[in-house]
Amino acid sequence: MSSAAVKRIEINAQSRLRLLMREYFLDLDAAGRDVDRRVAWCTSVGPCEILAAFGFAVYFPENHGALLGARRLSHELIPRAASLGYCAESCSYMNSDIGCDLAGSSPLREMYGVSGPPRPDLLVYSTNQCRDVQDWFSHFGRRHDAMVAGLRPPRHLGEITREHVADVRAQLEQLIERIEIRFERKLDRAVLRETVERSSRLSALWGRVLDTALHRPSPHTFWDMCIHMAPVILMRGTSAAIEYYEALRSEMEQRVDEGTAAVPDERWRIYWEGMPVWPRLRELSEKFFDLRAAVVASTYCNSWVFEPYAGGDPLDWMARTSLAIFINRDEAWKERFLESTLRRFGVDGLIFHNARTCPNNTNSRYGMPERLRRRLDLPVLVLDGDLSDLRFFSTAQSMTNIEAFIEQLEERR
Amino acid sequence: MTGRLLVGIDAGSSATKCVLLWRETAAGAATARVAGHAVVPSGFDYAEAARSALGQALGAAGAGVEDIASCVATGYGRGSVELPGSVSLRRLTEITCHARGARAWYPDVRHVIDIGGQDTKVIRLSSDGRMADYRMNAKCAAGTGTFLESIAVRLALPLSEVDRLAMSSTSRLTLNSYCTVFTSTEVLERIKAGDAREDIAMGMFRAIASRVVEMLSTGGTGGAVAATGGVVTHCRAMIAALEEALECPVRLPPMPQHAGAYGAALLAGERSDPALPAWDEGRAGAAPSAAACDGCSCQPSTQSRHSRALDGGRPC
Repeated sequence: MSSAAVKRIEINAQSRLRLLMREYFLDLDAAGRDVDRRVAWCTSVGPCEILAAFGFAVYFPENHGALLGARRLSHELIPRAASLGYCAESCSYMNSDIGCDLAGSSPLREMYGVSGPPRPDLLVYSTNQCRDVQDWFSHFGRRHDAMVAGLRPPRHLGEITREHVADVRAQLEQLIERIEIRFERKLDRAVLRETVERSSRLSALWGRVLDTALHRPSPHTFWDMCIHMAPVILMRGTSAAIEYYEALRSEMEQRVDEGTAAVPDERWRIYWEGMPVWPRLRELSEKFFDLRAAVVASTYCNSWVFEPYAGGDPLDWMARTSLAIFINRDEAWKERFLESTLRRFGVDGLIFHNARTCPNNTNSRYGMPERLRRRLDLPVLVLDGDLSDLRFFSTAQSMTNIEAFIEQLEERR
Repeated sequence: MTGRLLVGIDAGSSATKCVLLWRETAAGAATARVAGHAVVPSGFDYAEAARSALGQALGAAGAGVEDIASCVATGYGRGSVELPGSVSLRRLTEITCHARGARAWYPDVRHVIDIGGQDTKVIRLSSDGRMADYRMNAKCAAGTGTFLESIAVRLALPLSEVDRLAMSSTSRLTLNSYCTVFTSTEVLERIKAGDAREDIAMGMFRAIASRVVEMLSTGGTGGAVAATGGVVTHCRAMIAALEEALECPVRLPPMPQHAGAYGAALLAGERSDPALPAWDEGRAGAAPSAAACDGCSCQPSTQSRHSRALDGGRPC
């Protein structure tokens, strides 16, 4: 079956998403040029609720890094960052973003008519996801002479203890105090609570969207959700994002009711562990489509499904949430989570993406694939590549690997 | 479709191979015997290479396209292989095809090591012959035929001479480098340091063997091991290095470079048409002696000997 013969059914919410993204970037651009407004850069699982509650327009550079990868610009931009001394095998998001700034030209201009990323007044990172964000944000802090603040939560956790939460909560309070002093404004704790409530509600909605893939056939795939996850990252705490996911959830549930499949004649259900290969998203999507394989679940998309906020101290929730994300857990916890999720989604095969420049989002380096393969008697494939840098990804070899993987599944059935 | 030929085309990065099997019925059982085979350089045009290989094989078989019942194309260039529209054509990866080909020769094989021009694969089979797991080398020429060819060019020696030198090695020398380019440099340093050329040559084959060991899944090589692909076809030292690294015998099938095409042809019979009678795999896959083919480059004059070898007869 070829993708030419059988058409994929487009998700209706896509057009709404484009409008939402356009509004987001236009507002960011306006904020960057408005002397009465402030822009904060934040890491993707950083304390954006605090920044939003302070009234900052919040921008996430990782989204720009992904965009540069998806536009296949990274291989041109990374050497520019390397000329400043950034290792070409460090985070390709970071290198691409720094390289883009040096080049002075962002695809945001073509997409939204804005000059590029907004100039930051404040940069806030959390190393709960990796160390590279510290260096990335520090670079732009120097570049724009802007305040940089970092959170350093305890890493690689199994059980999350009260001491862990207290540690991060204290860091959040220190962050708030620093911002209040620097920008001469007080944080409205009631606004923070409301923002956290919306953020939690948004996360729960996103989780419900993802869980529609429990159904056979799945109404969506990982390749779809890589696109539709943008609001849950960029617009946490906003009503606009909540409305968007209400619509998306409704559409997915309707597909479930009607039996509409993202992959017609779905024959294989696959789990994708690790980052997307942004420059080859479409090709990979089409390859799996042709092979009648639906990638029904992923670690990456699930990373923004948080424990619900049930009232109480919002900073306590933020602290716990930042510690509890998958990327911040130890190997044993990750394996238990994956095992549970694989069973829950009825997965036939597991693919690990070994992203060369993203070791923190790569879980194939310490024997986990082999342990899961043996324990679950589940075929496992490790693909070598990268999130943005195509120099680390062989399309031909990877496609052969994927085809052979499906042939292996066929022999087992 | 009344044709009786099953065709396997392996359009590899360096060479395109074709194997033809005649489907026959004897004493109520369907069998297959090798009718012809060919190997041509792939060059830049996989489609043309496939046509050329198929044409040569058909010529050797005294057959035409109209005799083809079904075909399986494999290898990196499988997407470029085209046949007349009426012929059943499937595309399968070389991993599946090499495993099938090796299993036809050695029903008890559990690991198949395919060392090709641009990649190396280790395929693990279950006790019932199904593909259980496989590994490919990462995006890198180290551990492949390209690695050897690159260094041979730097040494200004044909690969056959590198192999001959390696087989006369008496010292256990290993190279430290991982990368094709750096290994070339290390080889020149070793020559300057006075290391024997035959030991350096064998060190190159050991470097490839060490990459293979990296790709084995846990538990090592329980069960029979076979090697396929162009490198083992032309280099006996590769087999020696593998046996040294794996600490077990490594079987070399007759015409190992054709293993993918042979497996593809067998699969063309097994998966193309449910109406086709089942094969007598014992006849098609009788294990021959593991002695290596002399590497006579599969010239048409030698095809009859190699055909018997593919069928499980005595090797050349």
